[in-house]
Amino acid sequence: MNRDLPILVVEDNDEDFDMLQMTFQGACIPNPLYRCTEGEEALDFLHQRGRYAAVKSAPRPGLILLDLNLAGLDGRQVLEHMKNDGRLKSIPVLVFSTSDNPKDVQSAYANGASGYLLKPVDLARFERMIRLFKEFWLDHIVMPEDDGREVAHG
Amino acid sequence: MSTESAGTAQVADLTNCDKEPIHIPGAIQPHGVLLVLREPALIICQISENTEALLGSRAQELLGRSLDSLLPASQVASTRASLLSDRLQDNNPLKLTLHGGDRERLFNGIAHRHQGRLFLELEPVAESESLPFFGFYHQARGAMSRLRDAKDLRALCEEGVREVRRLTGFDRVIIYRFDPDWNGQVLAEDRLETADPYMGLHFPASDIPRQARELYVLNLLRIIPAVDYVPARIVALPEEAAQGPLDMSFCVLRSVSPIHLEYLRNMGAGSSMSISLLQEGRLWGLISCTHMSGSKYVPYEVRTACEFVGQFMSSFISSKEGHEHYDQRIRTKSIQGRLLERMTRVVDFAAELCQSPPELLELTGATGAAVYFNGRMTIIGKAPEDEQLQGLIRWLSSQPASQEVFSTNSLLRHYPESEGFKDVAAGLIAASMSRGRHNYVLWFRPEVVQTLEWGGNPHKLVDVEDDQLRLHPRKSFALWKETVRGKSLPWKDYELEAARELRRNIIDIVLERSEELLKLNTELKRSNVELDSFAYAASHDLKEPLRGIHNYASLVLREDAEALRPTNRTRMDTVVRLTQRMESLINSLLHYSQVGRMELSLRETDLNDVLSSVLEVLKPRIEEARAEVRVPEPLPPARCDRVRMMEVFTNLITNALKYNDKEKRWVEIGSRRDPELGSVYYVRDNGIGIKPDYHEAIFRIFKRLHGRDKYGGGTGTGLTIVKRLIERHNGRIWVESTHGEGTTFFFTLDSEKEPVSELRPFGGESGR
Repeated sequence: MNRDLPILVVEDNDEDFDMLQMTFQGACIPNPLYRCTEGEEALDFLHQRGRYAAVKSAPRPGLILLDLNLAGLDGRQVLEHMKNDGRLKSIPVLVFSTSDNPKDVQSAYANGASGYLLKPVDLARFERMIRLFKEFWLDHIVMPEDDGREVAHG
Repeated sequence: MSTESAGTAQVADLTNCDKEPIHIPGAIQPHGVLLVLREPALIICQISENTEALLGSRAQELLGRSLDSLLPASQVASTRASLLSDRLQDNNPLKLTLHGGDRERLFNGIAHRHQGRLFLELEPVAESESLPFFGFYHQARGAMSRLRDAKDLRALCEEGVREVRRLTGFDRVIIYRFDPDWNGQVLAEDRLETADPYMGLHFPASDIPRQARELYVLNLLRIIPAVDYVPARIVALPEEAAQGPLDMSFCVLRSVSPIHLEYLRNMGAGSSMSISLLQEGRLWGLISCTHMSGSKYVPYEVRTACEFVGQFMSSFISSKEGHEHYDQRIRTKSIQGRLLERMTRVVDFAAELCQSPPELLELTGATGAAVYFNGRMTIIGKAPEDEQLQGLIRWLSSQPASQEVFSTNSLLRHYPESEGFKDVAAGLIAASMSRGRHNYVLWFRPEVVQTLEWGGNPHKLVDVEDDQLRLHPRKSFALWKETVRGKSLPWKDYELEAARELRRNIIDIVLERSEELLKLNTELKRSNVELDSFAYAASHDLKEPLRGIHNYASLVLREDAEALRPTNRTRMDTVVRLTQRMESLINSLLHYSQVGRMELSLRETDLNDVLSSVLEVLKPRIEEARAEVRVPEPLPPARCDRVRMMEVFTNLITNALKYNDKEKRWVEIGSRRDPELGSVYYVRDNGIGIKPDYHEAIFRIFKRLHGRDKYGGGTGTGLTIVKRLIERHNGRIWVESTHGEGTTFFFTLDSEKEPVSELRPFGGESGR
C-alpha cells in the first residue's frame, strides 16, 4: 500500500541506524530509506537545496523517522520547522528517540508529531516494534496524496 | 461692728471629700495670724481670731485698723513699699517686729495677692531660728549638685528625701509618684529606723481628692505643724463678709480638711508637710513629710529651701525619668543584641525566642510570653492555655490593624474573656509582625496584687479592720489593692520600646529570610530545570551506547552462538545481562532524581482503592511467591498523591515478597492511630528481617544488603524513592524488624501542610 513511499530517517547515531536498517530488512520493509545525520541536513533534504538540490537525490518523503537529540539543529526544531511549513506539514513524522522525558513527548505531539516511539535497550523488543511499525504505517495507514503543493483554502 | 464667720459649717466625710471646698475653710491653723489688707491704706479687713495669743490684741480690736499701727515707725515705710509693690512675693519673708500688748515679737510676714485681695500671714520667729546665710548656701549647693548628678529617677528621689529630711528633721520623708489614674506609689523613703517602712506602698487615688491635687499645683508647699490644732476662724468687716467666703488657696496657714487630719492621726503623725513635684504644669508626685514624735514647726526659710529642692527636682524629673532604670535600659539593649544574635543563628527563630535562657521575658520584664508564627505557637514562662491563647490571637486579629504594638495593663478592660487567665495575663504586650498572616509575639504579666515587691516586711501589712482606722496608709494600701484587681503592673516606656525594637528586628529577619528564600527559590527553580535536563540528557546519552552494545552483543549471540566457545558465549551472555542491569540502574537513577521535584497532586484519597489496584498489578508475583496478603481492616483515608502512593505500596509489598525465605509467606497491610502522629500505616512481613545496624542504611541510595542476584536482585533505589515520596507528603518512614523473623515498615502521611519541595544533589543520599 505505502511500499514505495520514501522514508527519511534523521538519526545521528550510526549504530542505531545500522540496527534500524538491519531490522527493516528483517521485517521485509521494501521502502526506499534515506538518512540524514543532522537537523540542518534534514531541512536541506526536505527543501531540496544545498547538496540535495537535484530532485532525484531527495525525493519528498512519505514518512519521517526523527531522532530528537541531534548535534546542531536538534530534532525538536526540525519538527517545528516542518509543521510550520505549509508544504511539509502533511508529512507524518514519527519521533524515534531514547528520551522518555515527558516534556519531550508533550512537545513532540504539541508540534504535530504523529507518534512517539521509545528506542528500547532490548533487541527483541526493538524488532517487534519495527514489525508493528511496518504493519501499521506501511500496510494500514492511509497516507495523504500529497504532491507538495499547498492545499488551497477556500 | 459685727463680725461674720465665713467658714463652712459642714463636716466632711469620706463620701464627699471629692466635693469638700477645701480652699474656703473659713479658718486657719493657729500657729500664725492671717490678715487681709485693703490697699493702699493697708486696712485690716479680715483677720484670724487667734490674735490675742500672738499679737496681744483681740481680733475684733484689730479689724478696721491700718497695719501701720502695729508696726514700729522704723518699719512702716519699707513694709508699705514691699506690700504695695507688684512683685510683693519677692520680698517674702518680711522681717517684722510687731508690738502687741506688752512686748515686741519677731514675725516672718508672708504676703501674696489673690483675687484682688492682699493677704499677709504672720508666723512668729524664734530668735535662734535665723539661719546663717552662708552655711545654708553651702549646704544647698552640695544638695543641688547631688540632685543634678543622680544617675536616674530613683537616685534623684532618694537624694531628694535625704535632703528634705536633713533640712527639716522630719521622722519620715517619702516621695511618691502618681500614675495616670492618680494612684500613688512610694518611690523613695528616708525615715527613722524605728518607723514602719512605706517603701513600695501604693495609695488609691481617693487618698488625695481632686480639689486637693488642684491646690497642690497652685501652691507648692503645705505644712501642718500640729495635727491636733484647733482652727482659728476668720472674722471680717461686714462689707468684706458680704463678698462671700475667703479664697485661701495660696495661704500657708489654711486650715485643712478634718479627713486629712484624721488620716494623719491614724498614721501616728503629729505634724506633716508636703511639697509638690510638677511636670509640665501637672502634678507628678509629692514629697511628703510626717513627724511621729509630736508637733513640728518648720521655719519659713527652711520651707523655702525645701520648696526649692522640690522645684529643683521637678526640673530634673523628665531628664532623670529618661534615665529611669538606666541600668535596666542598658541591660535591655544588650539582651536585645543577644536575642538578635540568637535569632539570626538558627533557622526557626520563633522557637529560638522561647528557648532558655529566657531573655525574651527579661526584655520586657514579663513573666510569660508566646510566639505565634505561621500558625505555630511556642511559649515560655507562665502563659495562658493553648485554647485561651488561640482565642486571644483571634481577638487580636479582629482588632483594627492600626497598632503595631498593642499594650495594656488591664487586658480585662479590652477583652473580658481574659477573666479566666488574668492570674497569668492581666497585662499584655502584643507585637504584630505581619499584616494578614497574624504573627505575634505576646508578653504577659500577672495581676499586680500577686507581683508586689515590698520594701518592708509584708507581715506588717496588717489589714486594719477597725473602722476607726479606716484612714490609714496600710488600709489605703489594702483599698488600692482592690482597685487594681485584674490589672498588672504598668509596662514601662523602655519595656514597650524594647518590644517595638524586637518587632522591627523580627521583621528585618523575616524580610531578609524571605529575600533569601526568593533568591534560593529562583536558584532552585533554575537548578531544577538544569538538573532535569541533566538527568534526562545523562540517561539518554548513557543509554545510546548501551543500546549499541546490547544490540550488537545480542546479534552476535543470535547469529554466531554455535561458533563461539562456551566460555565466550557465557561472556557474551554476561555482556547482554550487564547492559540490561545498567539500563535499569539508569532508569532508577533518573526516577529517583525526579521524585524530589515532581508535582504532587494531593487529594483526599481512599487508600483501600490504591491498595487493591496495587495488589491487582502484583497478583502474578504474589501467586508466584505463594504469599498470603492480609488486610485486617480498611485503611483510613489520607490526603496524598494517588499515583505516588501506589508506587510506595508496590515497593514495600514487593520487598516483603522478595526478602522472604519462609515456607508460608505473608504480608500484612494495616494502620493504627497514634495520638501524636495521627494515622500510621504499616506493611509487615514474616521475611528475613533486617539487622538493627542497617535500619537507617536501607534507605540510602544504591545501598544493598544482599548480593545482586539474591532475592531477585534490585538496583538499591526502591526504598530511597519510597522514603522521599513519604517525605514529600510531609510524612516519616521508619522500620522495626527482628532479624530472621520479619520486618515492619511504618509510615505517616501529613499532607495537610504545604507539600515539601526539596532540592537534593543528584544521586545524593537521603539518609537522615
